Amino acid sequence: MTRQKRSHHRLKRAVAPYLYLSPSLLIIGLLMLLPMVTVIGYSFQNSAVLRRDPSFAGLKHYQAIFADPVFWASLWHTLYFTCMSVVFHMTIGMVFALMLNSDRINPTLRNILRVLYILPWLFTAVIIAVIWRLLLEPNGVVNSVLMQMGIIGSKVEWFSSPATALHAVTFANIWAGYPLFMVSLLAGLQGIPRDFYEAADIDGAKAYQKLIFITIPQLMPIIISISLLDFIWTMQVFPLIWITTGGGPIYSTEVLSTYTYKLAFSSYNLSQASASAVVILLISLGLTLLYIRYQKAR
Amino acid sequence: MAEVILENICKIYGNNFRAIDQLNLSVEDGEFLILVGPSGCGKSTALRMIAGLEDITSGSLRIGGVDVVDMPPKDRDIAMVFQSYALYPHMTVSENIAFSMRLAGKPKAERKKRVDEIAKTLQLTSLLDSKPANLSGGQRQRVAMGRAMVREPAAFLMDEPLSNLDAKLRVQMRAEITSLQKQLGVTTIYVTHDQIEAMTMGDRVAVLKGGVLQQVDTPKRLYESPVNAFVAGFIGSPSMNLFEATLMGDELMSGSFAIRLQDAAFVRRPGLRSYAGRKIVFGIRPEDLYDSSLESGRKYQTIPAKVTSIEELGSEHIVHLNIDAVRVDSGDPDAVDDFGLASNAVARFEPVSAVHSGSEIRLAVDDAKFHFFDPETHLAI
Repeated sequence: MTRQKRSHHRLKRAVAPYLYLSPSLLIIGLLMLLPMVTVIGYSFQNSAVLRRDPSFAGLKHYQAIFADPVFWASLWHTLYFTCMSVVFHMTIGMVFALMLNSDRINPTLRNILRVLYILPWLFTAVIIAVIWRLLLEPNGVVNSVLMQMGIIGSKVEWFSSPATALHAVTFANIWAGYPLFMVSLLAGLQGIPRDFYEAADIDGAKAYQKLIFITIPQLMPIIISISLLDFIWTMQVFPLIWITTGGGPIYSTEVLSTYTYKLAFSSYNLSQASASAVVILLISLGLTLLYIRYQKAR
Repeated sequence: MAEVILENICKIYGNNFRAIDQLNLSVEDGEFLILVGPSGCGKSTALRMIAGLEDITSGSLRIGGVDVVDMPPKDRDIAMVFQSYALYPHMTVSENIAFSMRLAGKPKAERKKRVDEIAKTLQLTSLLDSKPANLSGGQRQRVAMGRAMVREPAAFLMDEPLSNLDAKLRVQMRAEITSLQKQLGVTTIYVTHDQIEAMTMGDRVAVLKGGVLQQVDTPKRLYESPVNAFVAGFIGSPSMNLFEATLMGDELMSGSFAIRLQDAAFVRRPGLRSYAGRKIVFGIRPEDLYDSSLESGRKYQTIPAKVTSIEELGSEHIVHLNIDAVRVDSGDPDAVDDFGLASNAVARFEPVSAVHSGSEIRLAVDDAKFHFFDPETHLAI
């Protein structure tokens, strides 16, 4: 092979992977990167979108949202909503996965439970929101049952009272999201070698010691991966909150996604909405980097 | 340390499958007993029943004089080494070894002292902070041993602990486990399907087939006096050659050849005379067949044979042959591997033998080394 032919061959080999990647790169660029860069650009402009020749605003819109108490309330609500959701998704998912993996449960009952436990995953966010709005209505089933059991004395307006609204939407989100953890942890549990538990039995381990010393450490890679992903996804939840409470009453369930939406489409302050969207982007980016770093470390 | 006694142990699964049938075994204090047999013979089930990982359907099991049938594994005073080692990958070597002490709530200093002692015995001191994933197969095996030793149990149970190692390391670990067992003097029950491990490691060997105990004896007696054709075929590698023949007077007639038996054969086995004029199964080990052209084979009777293939191992030649006789299946599924499609006998020749594949030879037979079995029951005569 001549030198020219060889270098041509080498060039072809170097370019080929990028050619294969180019369709997906193009789509990602057009549908994700371009809007993202545009929104970042808007956040530094006055009257973005609304005016043809918007002027440069510097960090003005960032200063404005950071000075807005509703933004800080939204941030706090987002963190509460997200943290509680992730913790309970994991706890409930783990309990149900352990139950479904147990030999002590009758196989028929186990199959029925498997279907029942996974049901919330089959519904879209809109249906979940409608179901819980109906259930948690002042005259709904939940109030009626709780009153009959004597747990509450009078009807509670779960979604309309500032004291309970955030807890109520968080509860609905926990109900909707635990199956992802349950399914992932169940797959992980089924992958733990039986020998580990038998060796522990011989060594005299009690059930809780097997959970602490074997099951949880063995599931840790799954727990960390799914928790990080759930954190990223839950931070961005919009339809469930929008349909159940719309961020109210009196901003008590306002989260960063509804706060940004209102700035953009209720107040038409697209520049400030962009700044708020960039803040969400930065928080999500931080978590994503953490996730990638963890995956690489494995 | 203790003796382990199994009396009429049975294991019947839900589908009425009898995995173990009336197993009676007595393992003496400090003895190294090997449970051996082909895949599915029930040897691992028997071990797991002793460990308490499998329920006993009926029978009695005593460890150190205590009936342990209804006891959970932790109370049986045993330690087990698993085939997979069952080392916890998230724990260091030291944490793995000390796990049972940690569960028992032993103080950290006591745990460290004991782990250090064991690590010294097993030459693991420099690896105490490593995770199992960073260890070689042999090192993992030693950690598994350490985890068993730390409990100072009455008996060690080992379930094919060397089967994951390569051939060379297996030879080394065989010697290490044997000498460690002698040093510790702990009663040990060791399960394997590898009859070389069985012959080289154990004080006594128990051979199982289809859940039924066939013979318990020292390796030497098992090799020299198998009680039936299965044990004869299973113990020894390559397996014993087993053929069908008819006993006519003092001659064994098979196909186109006859072998005259010496009087000593009838004196040693008085029952042999009763087979006169009847079919009989005779067996001969590969090392008792010789190349008649060599000095070693000159003194024996010869029969015609055709060489089908040769494995030259350096120290010896494993020669696959075809002789005019009907081969008898010992019932050992692994024995089939010793014979090719075209051969029905295996011989072990000296490396100076010049036979080659395809040649017609005279095969010298040391008839004094014959084993005889009943053709129906396959029991030794």
